[in-house]
Amino acid sequence: MRAIPTLKISISGVRGVIGESLTPALLTRFAQAFGTYVGSGTIVIGRDPRTSGEMVKQAVIAGLLSSGCRVIDIGMCPVPTIQLLVRHHHAHGGIAITASHNPAEWNALKFIGAEGLFLSSGEAREMLDIYHQGAYTKVAGAEMREVEEISGATDLHIQKILEVLGPLPQSAKSLRVVLDACNGAGSLVGPKLLEALGAEVIPINVTPNGLFPRPAEPLAENLGDLCTAVKEHGADIGFAQDMDADRLAIVSEQGIPIGEDYTLVLATLYVLGKQLGPVVANLSSTSVLQEVANRFNCPLFLTRIGEVNVTEEMQKENAVIGGEGNGGIIYPRINFARDSLTGMALILHLLAETGQTITDLVNSFPSFSLIKEKLVCPSHKISAVLRMLRHEYANYPLDLRDGVKVSLPNGWFLVRGSNTEPIIRVIAEAEREADARAIIHRVYAKVQECVN
Amino acid sequence: MKPLKIGITGVRGIVGETFTPEVAVEFSQSFGTYLDGGRILVCRDTRASGPMARAAVIAGLLAAGCEVIDLGVSPTPSLQLAVTWLKADGGIAITAGHNPSQWNALKFVRGDGLYLNPTQAEELLDIFHQGEFAKATWDQIKPALQHQDPIDHHIELLRSVFDVEAIKHRRLKVAVDCCNGACSRLIPLWLNEIGCEVLAINDDAGAPFPHAPEPKPETMAQLSAVVKAGRADIGFAHDADGERLGIVTQLGQPLSEELTLALATRIRLEQKAGTVVTNVSTTGAIEQIAALHGGTVVRTPVGQTYISEGMIEHNSVLGGEGSGGVAVPEIHSTHDSAAAVGLILEGLARSSKPVSKFVEDLPRLTMVKHNLPVEPNRLYSVLQNFRVGIEREQLTYDQTDGIRVVLPQGWIHVRASNTESMIRIIVEADETRSAQALLDWVRDRLNK
Repeated sequence: MRAIPTLKISISGVRGVIGESLTPALLTRFAQAFGTYVGSGTIVIGRDPRTSGEMVKQAVIAGLLSSGCRVIDIGMCPVPTIQLLVRHHHAHGGIAITASHNPAEWNALKFIGAEGLFLSSGEAREMLDIYHQGAYTKVAGAEMREVEEISGATDLHIQKILEVLGPLPQSAKSLRVVLDACNGAGSLVGPKLLEALGAEVIPINVTPNGLFPRPAEPLAENLGDLCTAVKEHGADIGFAQDMDADRLAIVSEQGIPIGEDYTLVLATLYVLGKQLGPVVANLSSTSVLQEVANRFNCPLFLTRIGEVNVTEEMQKENAVIGGEGNGGIIYPRINFARDSLTGMALILHLLAETGQTITDLVNSFPSFSLIKEKLVCPSHKISAVLRMLRHEYANYPLDLRDGVKVSLPNGWFLVRGSNTEPIIRVIAEAEREADARAIIHRVYAKVQECVN
Repeated sequence: MKPLKIGITGVRGIVGETFTPEVAVEFSQSFGTYLDGGRILVCRDTRASGPMARAAVIAGLLAAGCEVIDLGVSPTPSLQLAVTWLKADGGIAITAGHNPSQWNALKFVRGDGLYLNPTQAEELLDIFHQGEFAKATWDQIKPALQHQDPIDHHIELLRSVFDVEAIKHRRLKVAVDCCNGACSRLIPLWLNEIGCEVLAINDDAGAPFPHAPEPKPETMAQLSAVVKAGRADIGFAHDADGERLGIVTQLGQPLSEELTLALATRIRLEQKAGTVVTNVSTTGAIEQIAALHGGTVVRTPVGQTYISEGMIEHNSVLGGEGSGGVAVPEIHSTHDSAAAVGLILEGLARSSKPVSKFVEDLPRLTMVKHNLPVEPNRLYSVLQNFRVGIEREQLTYDQTDGIRVVLPQGWIHVRASNTESMIRIIVEADETRSAQALLDWVRDRLNK
């Protein structure tokens, strides 16, 4: 097999490995292409704490200024804060400098449009066209501006959350929360928000120095320290963020990770309890979400995977809550973005207002078993895999909007190629764990056979 | 014509045309590669394209694994002094010096605070052209910038070299035009430090250039008016990055930029006899002044690096060139208008004469400078033909830099500009009419 590439240019942006393919010249050209795409408008930029962040930021600034943009630099902050600030400043776009859950040697640019939403696939293709054609807007020196550095972007974010949700209700006992920010972009703002809400905070991994104390994805297997801390401190809940603070995972008061999927489930439970309306999620989300929607008699719409697909559908359906099964909560009254800060506020309100524990809340739903696997797959083999599955499962209901999703009598599975890495993802869910395991074993084996 | 000039003075071009962020990024990454990482200082002048170029330079340096210390808007000589002060391995000054505002450039400074010499510049260019740069990995790259202000250190050094008490005692009134350039941050402060009453104009580093940033009589009208209205003892005009100096006398008379070095030479040699280093196109008055005061003159090719190296080699007491650049070796062997100001004010303070009297005593020669724009592809063939013509006339010529010919009425010097696509012609004679005749003589032969 070929070596895994160190550069990935796609509709999700450009990502690559520092010291290899992600060079400052390439980044500058991308920023010029984006500046050209937005017509030399106002651009908000921010970054996560990766060690390469400053270099990447300067390359981006050079490209944006050169194409005549006004640049507002909000410094180190969560991606959803950048998205919020794009709206707040009525900017023409934004660039988030983060490789989200990729390891420390990676970095990336993610492009944000005028409303704070990531570029849709169509918009991203137009921008990539400009990049590849290489004819960028270049303004004369006299038309170039200074960078506007703005501090307090995250304070504005906290303020917005408090405005919409308010502090936690005064009760006999304040909630005790352990926060694991993965030394990421949420390191400084997370504890501040939790205090502002009125919770008691025990922070771990809140040194934003670009060193990863654990793998960035808030998956159960990466949350050992958090689980221990929750038990040690007798906390009511543990929160885990990823590097760019868009995703949120929860550890119960017993020190057990409840699974990323339940973040959206619990947030939806809280929001629908306050306001009925449509819910939007991607088609790899847990069936528990359907149970929640049914409980409130609200419609659930499933979309292709990717934040922008969810946010666009939410706008179309006027949804009250949405998100993704990987722990991304989108609450439009605050922000049209996957926002772990908003997610924490929603979940804590749920705990405070119901007086129930996380374990109780999770147990109030029929249990489903959701299993996620992935395997390395060269991109040119993905279509053969999908073709094989379409053929093999032709007699079952198929959803072909994003990879192949098959509804089986006792569960479902989804197989799709990743947008960001040369891997193929296999996800299966069933009410009984044994069924889920059986499905994933069977499908995984078929996919592996096809790849080899 | 959209020239990008890559030469010994660095890389220079018009922003929005040839001076792109990629060029700045890749040159900086080349420089970082050349210095094998290390600590690099960055400063810029006040051009509107400065923030863009600064970001590109920092990105390139960080990517090559350098530790970057940003000096913000500062004169180039302040950066050059800070290189040794901060124990840096080099520096990049983002400034197109005296070029108009639509230009920008990178100038590369090595670990001793002087510009790269031609051999070093060629090595840097080889790395740039080859395109294989050092690339720091995530655990090598420096995660943050550092910041320093070099101005106080620069002033401290100036104070230690010049006779501050004597200057304070004279209570001079000094008019100064900083062209809204990097000197806005240095010169008024320096003058205050030495007890001058300062009449500053165009000292807003956030504003655009009010006139071309080249201190010449034609850009010194405003300064001249201020000198007269304010009854100042002298007026000083600065370029964008603190290398060149122009002078207006207490009578409001703007002096030719050639006279800055002449005046400095006279003042310096009266204090201290020795060697003065200048380039082949600077006025012959320097030799005449040196002869009067028992000094000697060494001529180098045009370019700061030659003057700096000449000064060190000959252990000189002064260096400089006819563009208004003066180097005082006790400070550093590179053009520094703040040092030139110090030297001249010290000279005035120690004498009771006004500056116009100093100027009256200088030899009176007429120099005419003329620039002939030529398409980049024709530049060297035009020069070649000129040389062949001179040879055919069996005249002897000096090839230190371009072609310099001594004729009975005076001398002529013809060379390709280091910074723009043009031929620079300089002639000098005892009087205006012969100088004009010399210029015609050159132009006839260039147009053949």
